Amino acid sequence: MKKSGQEKNRLPYQVKLSCAFMGLGQLFCRQFGKGLLLMAVEIGFVLFLIFAGVENIVGIFTLGTKEAVPIMGIEGDNSVKMLAWGITTVFLCILFGLVYYANIRDAAYTAEEIRKGNRVRTFSESCRTLIYGKFYFLTLSVPILFVCVFNIMPIVFTALVAFTNYGGEIVPPKLVDWVGLANFGLIFTVSEYAVTIVKIFGWNLLWAVVATALNYFGGLGLALLYNAKCLRWKRFWRIFPVLAYAIPGFITLTGFRFLFSDGGPVVGMLREWGWISEQFTFIGFDSKWSLRLLGFFACAWISVPSVMFLATGILSNVNRDMYEAASLDGANAWQCFVHLTLPFVLFATMPVLLNSFIGNFNNFSIFYFLRPEVTYDTVNYFYANNTDLLINWIFNLTVDKKLYSLGSALSMVLFLFMAIVSLVVYMRSPSYRKEDTYK
Amino acid sequence: MSKNSSVKNRGMRGRTLLQSVAVWALVIAVSLIFAFPCVWLILSAFNAEGSLLTLDGFFPSAYSLDTYIKLFTEKVEHDYVRWFSNTLFVAAISCVISTVCVLLVSYTMSRYRFKSRKQMMKATLLLNIFPNFMNMTALFVIMTQFNLLNNLWGLILLYSSGATMGFLVQKGFFDTIPSSIYDAAILDGASDLRVFVSITLPLSKPMIVFTALTAFTWPWSDFMLPKMLLPDKSQWTVAIGLNWLDESQFSVFAAGSVFIAVPIVILYILLSGYLIQGSAAGAVKE
Repeated sequence: MKKSGQEKNRLPYQVKLSCAFMGLGQLFCRQFGKGLLLMAVEIGFVLFLIFAGVENIVGIFTLGTKEAVPIMGIEGDNSVKMLAWGITTVFLCILFGLVYYANIRDAAYTAEEIRKGNRVRTFSESCRTLIYGKFYFLTLSVPILFVCVFNIMPIVFTALVAFTNYGGEIVPPKLVDWVGLANFGLIFTVSEYAVTIVKIFGWNLLWAVVATALNYFGGLGLALLYNAKCLRWKRFWRIFPVLAYAIPGFITLTGFRFLFSDGGPVVGMLREWGWISEQFTFIGFDSKWSLRLLGFFACAWISVPSVMFLATGILSNVNRDMYEAASLDGANAWQCFVHLTLPFVLFATMPVLLNSFIGNFNNFSIFYFLRPEVTYDTVNYFYANNTDLLINWIFNLTVDKKLYSLGSALSMVLFLFMAIVSLVVYMRSPSYRKEDTYK
Repeated sequence: MSKNSSVKNRGMRGRTLLQSVAVWALVIAVSLIFAFPCVWLILSAFNAEGSLLTLDGFFPSAYSLDTYIKLFTEKVEHDYVRWFSNTLFVAAISCVISTVCVLLVSYTMSRYRFKSRKQMMKATLLLNIFPNFMNMTALFVIMTQFNLLNNLWGLILLYSSGATMGFLVQKGFFDTIPSSIYDAAILDGASDLRVFVSITLPLSKPMIVFTALTAFTWPWSDFMLPKMLLPDKSQWTVAIGLNWLDESQFSVFAAGSVFIAVPIVILYILLSGYLIQGSAAGAVKE
């Protein structure tokens, strides 16, 4: 206790100066280049705050106070724009805080060096340490900036919109307001939303589980099939799944839509053979299970090959001795598969399985492309259809019906659910816990 | 004794014969399932008349090259050449930026230990759950504020940052390179950048090919982001353009699809070896 007090007393004056104003301490350490640069950054930031920043941050709280009256030529506040710039300003403040912290750390470091009697680093030396000593800083800073702007900022924006009444009638030039948890309350209490969300969630869960299992075991089965000893021209046969893998998804799905549409060849053929009634449609206003099954088929067609590649690569790493030992002990092919191949592959592909589940849960494109016109089943659903997944519903609400706040609130609920599921799975996965096995 | 074994032998042979018949039948069936829609689409592109309804059963009754000629000369109704060059521009530049970013980030995450590294990986995992187009409204507003609406560079930035978020696969690969290889080079006084360029990169050729290929195909075949951010028809990419066509222009859709799919199919077939190695290397963990 006493010692730390003494340390505090001995806090070098350069550090105090750097705390007071960025770069000042560095100047007193005779690091002029760095000091001036840091001072310029602080001056720039303060100027930014004075001219725009403070206003932007206040804007987040008020979301605009002056409503526009176009007839009288009064230009009002644009709440949405204010929200976007407010978030940007907060991000900049956090960034500035980090730089400020680094500046104090740097001053402390240099002061310590001076106390020890070492020579102070020149500006070019500092630059070199940054490049060579902290390689990770160099490689990560630009990507992190990108990710902050294009991935994190939109998420923050969506999260904030979920607590406003933005959407429907209330879009700029009208003023948007904070409404707290009202949107979340709406989703779970108003019966038409609640019924829709329960129905869609049930189907969505079923879809994700079945589609993931279908892709996974289909891919594994295909990999084993193409590995069979009696099969020749393996490279030739593998071209077909590559074909399916390579064709862009929107082409495949639109192709399937044409193939199975009412005027398309498959329905025509089946009708001619008398296998289906005249009313039957794959892709129609009220087709439910036929379209769902078609969705599973299309999803498998697209995704099975990628799992197959993965499994083929993994199977080539399987230790052959295990199988020899097993067959000496009298195990048949099926037993070998269940007790040797499956555990090995499952273990190796746990993270992929998780990603595939998340991808399928949010598989927007399948039913977006398969059902051509936006038609809503207004009896049973609120702006949704019997094949829509949650993500499709969110799309309908935001893009088609412009109910932004409601869509954002739903996005947040969906995000929370997926985040909990995957964090739990990920933390338990061996690849996270034993990352350094190979090192 | 000998009789017994020959019976058993014959039984075995019968079973393997049955097995190989089953394998061949399955392989042919699977190949047909994968090939049929492609063949159908390619032949439809040569349909002499444009509409889906003019198909006779599955296939056209008369073939011609008209659709292809129309595809490349028509400018007013559908400017395919423009769409195609837009797509190529976005995909090529995003491919280069993404590959560099992903490789650097995944290498850094795999080799260096620094503060908040684990937190960053967890954060990435969380962010990956939230696909970009789930916050369509937010992206639209933000891109409008940055003046990146109707701008192909806006797409390029989004694809590059999105691809960077997927660095965990490549990190899994770099994790398998033993650190003893690096130690020797560092003892010899090589800088970090030097180690990366002359040791890591040559060792990870399959991974680089895999990364570049996936970084190219995503923008090449993506639909959602261009649909949202490029309302102006002259900036459209092929995906939006083709989706916009209806049943009466089915053969135009088919012909346009063939042109967008063929380059990538050829690339994939040529590089399928890398693809298998790459996707497995990123996943295998014990």
